[in-house]
Amino acid sequence: MQAEAAIRARSGLKGMQPVLTADRLRMSFGGVVALNEVSIEIGRDELIAIIGPNGAGKTSLMNCMSGFYRPQEGRIVFDGEQIVGRSVHHIARSGLARTFQGTHIFPDMTVVENIMIGRHMHMRSSILQAFVHFHWAQKEEMQHREIVEEIIELLEIEAIRHQPVGALGYGLRKRVDLGRALAQEPKILLMDEPMAGMNNEEKEDLARFILDVREARGIPVVLVEHDMGVVMDLADRIYVLDFGKMIATGTPAQIQRDPLVMKAYLGEK
Amino acid sequence: MDPAGIFATSFARDAALVRTRPQQIALALFLVFLLLLPVLFGPRLLAISTLILILSVVTLGLQITTGYAGQINLGQAAFMGVGAYTTGFLATKLGLPFWLTIPLGGCSAAVFGFIFGLSAVRIKGFYLALTTIAAQALFHFFVLNLPWFGGSNGLTLDPATLFGFAFVTDTSIYYLCLAVAALMTYGAYGIVRGRFGRAFVAVRDDDVAAGIMGIDIVATKATAFLVGAFYAGVGGGLWAYFVRFVAVDQFTLFNSIWFIAMIIVGGMGAITGALVGVVVIKCIQEGFVSLGPSVVSQFPSIGGDVVFALMNVFLGSVIAAFLIFEPRGLMHRFDILKRSYRMWPFPY
Repeated sequence: MQAEAAIRARSGLKGMQPVLTADRLRMSFGGVVALNEVSIEIGRDELIAIIGPNGAGKTSLMNCMSGFYRPQEGRIVFDGEQIVGRSVHHIARSGLARTFQGTHIFPDMTVVENIMIGRHMHMRSSILQAFVHFHWAQKEEMQHREIVEEIIELLEIEAIRHQPVGALGYGLRKRVDLGRALAQEPKILLMDEPMAGMNNEEKEDLARFILDVREARGIPVVLVEHDMGVVMDLADRIYVLDFGKMIATGTPAQIQRDPLVMKAYLGEK
Repeated sequence: MDPAGIFATSFARDAALVRTRPQQIALALFLVFLLLLPVLFGPRLLAISTLILILSVVTLGLQITTGYAGQINLGQAAFMGVGAYTTGFLATKLGLPFWLTIPLGGCSAAVFGFIFGLSAVRIKGFYLALTTIAAQALFHFFVLNLPWFGGSNGLTLDPATLFGFAFVTDTSIYYLCLAVAALMTYGAYGIVRGRFGRAFVAVRDDDVAAGIMGIDIVATKATAFLVGAFYAGVGGGLWAYFVRFVAVDQFTLFNSIWFIAMIIVGGMGAITGALVGVVVIKCIQEGFVSLGPSVVSQFPSIGGDVVFALMNVFLGSVIAAFLIFEPRGLMHRFDILKRSYRMWPFPY
């Protein structure tokens, strides 16, 4: 408890109940220490960015938080619940959504079906009800379809709703990926390099949607990103990782002036 | 993609399977054809049609396990056999009516299949496929060694009866199979277009993303086996009442591979594809059976084994040819044709 309070004081989140706290995570692959005493805290209405050079441990941190990796030490508390060691689907069901570097989208399914997958955890019909497909299952399907349509409208992808996602361009796929995560109605959204491989126009679109998501839905967002322009414009607070260590945290303005960060990115003088 | 002029005005319409007037008419005509089939066809074709209906049910199950959920199942014939033997046992030893024995046969097959689905906890892909071969061996072993199933003599059943009416004639058993197959087909469409169908496809295509969507991957795989085996069991139950004799050599690994061939030919991941695959493969098989004797009588030197041998050559070549030239099956080709017909005269 005391440690948590100490972290909170350090990261300048006094009094605010965080939605996700990682406390001194340590994770190594053989001799390589991917995460070394990394602590992070995300408030209820924050847009956090995690930056760092290649191999700094950003994606490892993401994987720990979403349950793909199990850190050797440390704990992660999400929404009042300790989640280290829980299965991926269990963590997802308790309200953590995540998008991947590149796309992990279901290429044969249409846009609507992909986003409906996000509703899966909120649907209750049993296999018997699905077999009958009359009344219960169908009614439930239509209710959730309505929610999906709202998301399609938010992301402005109405025209392609029945196209298989495999046939879409990269920017649109990322948008569907975001829509699928939104359909989960998450309490927190982790995005792993959403802008990688996009042109400027696509980046601007996605940045707008991320801001929309945060404002319209009030979902805290954690962004791992390489594009400094995007990060500095969007983030409320930035964490900087280097060689598995958290070397700095603060507002974009503070980070830009931080000597340690400058050293990590530009090398020593 | 809908043809021009068809607009969905509600989400229910947008998700409907039968979308246009010509489709409604085609479906109605097809159902009328199925109902009138005993009048139109002779006894041999009627028997083949009944067999096609039974195999359709089994293949639908395999389509769900393998085509949708991506879990290769080489034990579908064993699951069918479990259903057939359970039905036979319950009917002969306990005297239960068919409307109880067939669903119970399905349930026992489902339990048997679920056990193999649970091995997905530890293994996946190719190795899971290999464990399903164990289902064949276990089935064989249990049936021959447990005291209730008549050992190698098999079980002989009385005809199914309903309110004093016995399903003895070919026509009556055809209608019984038609009713069950229609119900199971409707159910399969219901399952695959709802949350379970989407979860199956998600697990098949990308299990990492499926997990982060809150889908329990192991439970979903096990459910796919459960559903697929239930279908096999129901098909087995129908088989028991159709042949009225159940024996262990009716459900071999060979049959399982035929079922795989049927979904490959019809198209993986399409319910209609399973039905198409059964019809195509069964018709060609029967063609060999019909033509074989006349060929042998013309050329006695090639011997009487040629039919069976040719059938195997055909099985191998049809799987290989489809995997090379049409890996997504006939339904995929049909979808492409339908799309370009609706697009005409534009190329895309």
